[in-house]
Amino acid sequence: MTKHSQTRMPGLTRRTLLAGSAALGGALMLPAQVRAQAAQPTRGGTLRITMPYNPAAIDPMTGRNLPDFNTLYAIYDALIDFDPDTLELKPGLAKSWNFPDPTTLVLDLNEGIEFHDGTPFNAEAVKFNLDRFINDERSNVKSDLTVVDRVEVTAPNQVTLKLKIPNAGLPAILSNRVGCIISPASIKAAEGGNVDRNPVGTGPFKFVEWRDNDVIRVERNPNYWQDGLPYLDAIEFRIINELNTGARAVTAGEADLALNLAAQQIAVAKRSNDVVAVATPSLVFYTGSFNYAIPPLNDLRVRQAMNYALNREDLNRVLMLGLGEPTSTLFPKNFWATDPETANFYTHDIDKAKSLLAEAGFSGGLDIPTWGWPDQASVQRQELIASQLAEAGIRLKITPVPPAQAMQSFFIEKRGIAMLAPQGGLPDPSQIYERLFAGNALRNAGKVELDGFRPLMDATVNSFEPEARKQAFHQLQRFVIDQALHLPQYTSAGMAIHSPKVKDFKFGLITSPKFHRVWMEA
Amino acid sequence: MSGITGMIVRRLWQLLPVMVVATFVVFSLVYLVPGDPAIIIAGDYATEERIAEIRQIFGFDKPMIVQYGVWLTNVLQGDLGKSLYSGEAVTRLIVDRLPHTMLLAVYGLVIGAAIGIPLGILAATKQGGWADKVITTLVSLGVAVPNFWLGILLVSLLALGWKIFPATGATSFFDNPAEAIYYATLPAVALSTGVVAVLARQVRSALLEVLGSQYIRTLRAKGLSQRSILWKHGLRNVAATMLTITGLQVNRLFSSAVVLEAVFAIPGLGSLISYSALNKDFPVVQGVALFLVVSVILTNLIVDVVSAVLDPRVAAAT
Repeated sequence: MTKHSQTRMPGLTRRTLLAGSAALGGALMLPAQVRAQAAQPTRGGTLRITMPYNPAAIDPMTGRNLPDFNTLYAIYDALIDFDPDTLELKPGLAKSWNFPDPTTLVLDLNEGIEFHDGTPFNAEAVKFNLDRFINDERSNVKSDLTVVDRVEVTAPNQVTLKLKIPNAGLPAILSNRVGCIISPASIKAAEGGNVDRNPVGTGPFKFVEWRDNDVIRVERNPNYWQDGLPYLDAIEFRIINELNTGARAVTAGEADLALNLAAQQIAVAKRSNDVVAVATPSLVFYTGSFNYAIPPLNDLRVRQAMNYALNREDLNRVLMLGLGEPTSTLFPKNFWATDPETANFYTHDIDKAKSLLAEAGFSGGLDIPTWGWPDQASVQRQELIASQLAEAGIRLKITPVPPAQAMQSFFIEKRGIAMLAPQGGLPDPSQIYERLFAGNALRNAGKVELDGFRPLMDATVNSFEPEARKQAFHQLQRFVIDQALHLPQYTSAGMAIHSPKVKDFKFGLITSPKFHRVWMEA
Repeated sequence: MSGITGMIVRRLWQLLPVMVVATFVVFSLVYLVPGDPAIIIAGDYATEERIAEIRQIFGFDKPMIVQYGVWLTNVLQGDLGKSLYSGEAVTRLIVDRLPHTMLLAVYGLVIGAAIGIPLGILAATKQGGWADKVITTLVSLGVAVPNFWLGILLVSLLALGWKIFPATGATSFFDNPAEAIYYATLPAVALSTGVVAVLARQVRSALLEVLGSQYIRTLRAKGLSQRSILWKHGLRNVAATMLTITGLQVNRLFSSAVVLEAVFAIPGLGSLISYSALNKDFPVVQGVALFLVVSVILTNLIVDVVSAVLDPRVAAAT
């Protein structure tokens, strides 16, 4: 087993090469003084952010949604860090990690790190946190660590995780919620161990204030263990639920950065010279979940017909204004786990869709009772998808309801046979395959695991060498596509707008920004 | 004054059943809309086991009437509970957010009254003239224009275009009154159009009715000047109407604030209740609903007391 066994090659394509050359060329054309200025971050300033979601908690254990990470990584460091563009793993609180055998993960921790409350970060603190994630009644993240049998302190700065079964995805999982380490002293001092609103981490910023659904303030951690970082003095996260209002705050100069926007705000911002619009690839993707345990979607031909009936390019162009990627799978084409050969397997082919339906005995078409979400963008997406499928005779009967109701009705009460909703955003690709298609997964409405899925799934967590793991994912991707287990449409994008003064901001593939290296031009 | 005191006691006594019925209706509505808060609490990492566990922890598995009973018992002991999601005390959420909504409502009401009442008087005294026609047309427009649309228009012109006012945000009135008023100006103007329209209309028609009555004709016959008739007799008799209509606007302002607080990113009660209702955060929705019910009833009570002072017949009739 190798150290840092998850080292991955970022997807290097002709486009990224050209973009890189263009940037390099452009930079070389600048006078030396300007180049030096551009490369030199400056200290100071308060970054004023708007974001549409109020975190449920700034405790990684009890928070629950992807946008929580806007604040989590400001306050906490994770055991393992990652490259935002590729998710390639990097040392974090753990300086190295390795699997001496497939069911043992050893983490060697950096020394001399302190929590914001001055208590030391060490192996005991890591064990305390991991045990809490696994055992606490309030833990929402138990499912991330189901493979962990026990956590042992094997040296003052070494932790060993003994696993029930091999899981090569665990280091990536430790770069996420369950890798964020909280001060044990703060948890012990809190009533009921509840630090939802009083977070103490080791991260670049210390928590100052949270006015619910209004503002969260953090300030620079002067004792941060990474020398010279962070550059910012403080960050102010204003929670503005309405996306247009959040974007307007940046346009009006009242905020510097608006996070978690939609394509419409990006399109408007691109028309302005005063702000920078960012839309980068994301692991969130739009799909339709199927109940393939019952007719008519238990017939492969019907599922395939639905996939052939979609015009994904049109969907991406109209609904995402071209900012996403049309896809037949779960991730962007350049992501390491994606097989680009089959990523766009299903091409728009109405004749093929009709003939598959006829073979399945539905030459007169068929009705598909479907759940969707009620917001304007979701309804627009549902209407467009329904009109495309109708061309092949597939009539979606959509009921738009709030997300929690859709989940309850479809996945738990098993009413309807399809649901249109975004999915994804998890750090290790094995997680989303498991959560969508495993027989016991909440998001597998029919609770049916098709023959052939499990060995391929297991191969993705049993393969510790990067290339072997990549190939395992390619095979799993092909299986899910061949079996048409869902109705993928297009990937989303990490969408934000910011003032030109904001430098080195990256939303990243899992739209979980880190503010260590963000700086503001004076 | 005993008539007025009796009225206040009667009204306060009526408050209790109204509060119970209103909060029960709100609770039922939030409860009956399908969708399980346990799923929202479990979030992206939900498993069926975790959802079932959360239901049990929060008591969502108990019958609705039991859940309501638990809530009501706590309220009677002075505990409005905590948000299901943030864990914040509902009382604190209301106290934190109330000043923003109050400022918006009062500011909108003041602007509305300052413009609406004079317009109504002018229209009534110039009945049929060009001023009356212009005012009547503008008033119809004021009723028809949605607040949020006007809000966005004002932001585009005065915040993004000319940069005179801020586009978003709010400051606490208690921290910095001048800045708070500055921040609240655009939303208050957007909020006030409906008030202007309603007040102008009602004042106009009430004043026309009074000015056409027999005792005014008698005053005219006695040789009183138009000015004296209007100010001493006409307006005094429409004061009760003005007060009642203005009081009713408070309810309207609270409901309009829900949308405008979203447009202007104001952390007030409106945004709190809409966000909480969407997420089925029972305790917060219940707490804010209770607060609003009490506010509306107390506002009406104050209006009635003032009306009774102006006209003792009111106290006897209510």
